[in-house]
Amino acid sequence: MSVPNEDIVSYHTQLSSYFFMDLLDSMIVDVASECHRIARLGLDRNLEEEEEELRLSAQARARVADPSNSGEANSKYVVDIFGQTHPPVANEIFDCMNCGRSIMAGRFAPHLEKCMGKGRKARQKVTRSSTAAQNRHSRGSHGSTYSPYSNSTSTNQLSNGAPGSAREYLNGTFEEP
Amino acid sequence: MSPRNPVYSNPKPCKHLAEFKLSYGSYGYNSLQNYLKTTINGRTSVKNQKTDIPRCSSCNGCQGTLHMCLICSSISCSSHTLLHSQSERGHDIAVDVERSELYCCLCSDQVYDPDFDRTVVLKHIMSLPRNRNGVEGVIGRSSKRRRLNSGVELDSKEPRQSVSMRDRRAKSCYPLGLRGLNNLGSTCFMNSVLQVLLHAPPFRNYFLSDEHKRQTCKKGSSDKLCLLCNIDAIFSAVFSGDRSPYSPAQFLYSWWQHSANLACYEEQDAHEFFISLLDRIHEKEGKARNPHKDNEDCQCIAHRVFSGLLRSDVTCMTCGNTSTTCDPCVDISLDLDMSNCSLTEVANKAKKPSEDTEVSTLLGCLNLFTKPEKLGSDQKLYCKNCQEKRDSLKQMSIKRLPLVLCLHIKRFAHSAVRKMSRKIDQYLQFPLHLDITPYLSSSVVRNRFGNRVFAFEGDDLDTSAEFEIFAVITHSGMLESGHYVTYLRLKKQWYKCDDAWITEVDEGIVRASQCYMLFYVQKTLYRNQ
Repeated sequence: MSVPNEDIVSYHTQLSSYFFMDLLDSMIVDVASECHRIARLGLDRNLEEEEEELRLSAQARARVADPSNSGEANSKYVVDIFGQTHPPVANEIFDCMNCGRSIMAGRFAPHLEKCMGKGRKARQKVTRSSTAAQNRHSRGSHGSTYSPYSNSTSTNQLSNGAPGSAREYLNGTFEEP
Repeated sequence: MSPRNPVYSNPKPCKHLAEFKLSYGSYGYNSLQNYLKTTINGRTSVKNQKTDIPRCSSCNGCQGTLHMCLICSSISCSSHTLLHSQSERGHDIAVDVERSELYCCLCSDQVYDPDFDRTVVLKHIMSLPRNRNGVEGVIGRSSKRRRLNSGVELDSKEPRQSVSMRDRRAKSCYPLGLRGLNNLGSTCFMNSVLQVLLHAPPFRNYFLSDEHKRQTCKKGSSDKLCLLCNIDAIFSAVFSGDRSPYSPAQFLYSWWQHSANLACYEEQDAHEFFISLLDRIHEKEGKARNPHKDNEDCQCIAHRVFSGLLRSDVTCMTCGNTSTTCDPCVDISLDLDMSNCSLTEVANKAKKPSEDTEVSTLLGCLNLFTKPEKLGSDQKLYCKNCQEKRDSLKQMSIKRLPLVLCLHIKRFAHSAVRKMSRKIDQYLQFPLHLDITPYLSSSVVRNRFGNRVFAFEGDDLDTSAEFEIFAVITHSGMLESGHYVTYLRLKKQWYKCDDAWITEVDEGIVRASQCYMLFYVQKTLYRNQ
């Protein structure tokens, strides 16, 4: 007995619907079961606290964004809590430790740079973070190496490792601790 | 709020479960153990060997959640569980065949029993590929007690008065150690970090208690002062009672003397400076204090305060073999969690904040940090068990907490490929009180085993995971020409430290600010302030 094509198609559609709904139900129960366990065992104690923090932050942002609120005055002309005012460029005067000249505080760094013979000429082309990074990581090349903190190969995205005891081999094998 | 139990609330059994336990003890669980099977992703199922497809004994159906009676092993679908326990007296407790969760047919609810969880976890562990870390590592309690706060947490003593004459402007109503720092020429990156260190409780206590004795310090030479002496000098000046802004010029000079490559007059990254400074302190102090090169328990002040341990687990996706490494760290760098933000939200900066229903949160970033990450197929790693390269799953967690937790938000995205950098201005919500428990190794590992009630290794009940924020470094402006400001929280009042200007601010200002580095201290140390 031949069955019309449309019937077969709709039967298949029904079947796939059936299986899909079964799978979907199973996944929903998975999530429900996990959440039920977490709630019953008290592993989500801080939900209320977290929501309170979110609410306070949202409130704070709204207040700050409100143009009717007097925004922070330009801090360079404000009076600090001790009742003092300060000029935009620090005007304390002291002697340079390198050359002995009297220098104004706000201009000390650029002066010291030239004074110590360092600065843009002496600075290496390599970015400032790379040397610090090299000092910290003795792991060699990125790429195939498994780096615990960052999969990025960018040298400027700093990893966290202090001079540490990484117990792994560079060729990617694991070492059981 | 219920009294805080160390790890779990002990689940109170319903009376049916209690009766079951009284009558059968753990016999039912143990005999079930033979049929438990755990997959790679940690899900345990009950596989009855008689039939491939479990079917309800009442209606022969196989749809939906099926439960197997613990007493007679008969299977019921969700429509007939009640029927089974009504027709057979005492057959109240069943187990979810797919998920191995206990179910009380009379209460119509999932129930929990530590003994059952223990049975499940033990079976799971035994089925894992054997390695030294496999069995003992998970079951055994870590007996290594952390040397908590040894000598670093000190009673606040009187700060040394190094000036003989009190400055008339000293306001005794304001906390000690509040003093502006002059900007010496694009040095706000340095000032912001110094302000944090000046008020990090264990770090501050160390210097104020004269632990580093400048008078007898021999580490410096005639022209170069020792780095800790320099820092000590800053503490003396800032806590002297003089409230006029202080110029950390001597410190800058010493700093540049020690680091040829960093010495340049231009804006630098506060986070880089922070890491370099801690590195340098460790260099100078660490070698003296740790002749045995025990990096993990370094006693230099930088590590005693900031150093924690990060755990990295790499799991082979084929056999489930997990390899664990631990590395010390002085901070945690977090990628911004952008999952909640639509593309239009990010692009449209004019959007009012109150309209945001989804924001990036610190907890979201921490979730991202500890999320299992599938390593790309070009990053297959060698699995010792399979003896070849396999697809792997990597997961980070915090194994040991520092006294002061520094969280760095990666707002500066540099692309080596495109040779350009950009700053991510996305607002990040952060809490003032942080419970870091979910991100600890103990929690992460437990989660991998389905959150079963079980004493996993590293359940360190002694160390508190509760932290209070005490400092925030914010960055405003563009990548190359921005400005760093530190907000300090002293005795529940927030102060803005903008170079030479110290002002009082509302908590709301700090919450709404664009944070770059967040500093949390263990709650017990914060209360002592």
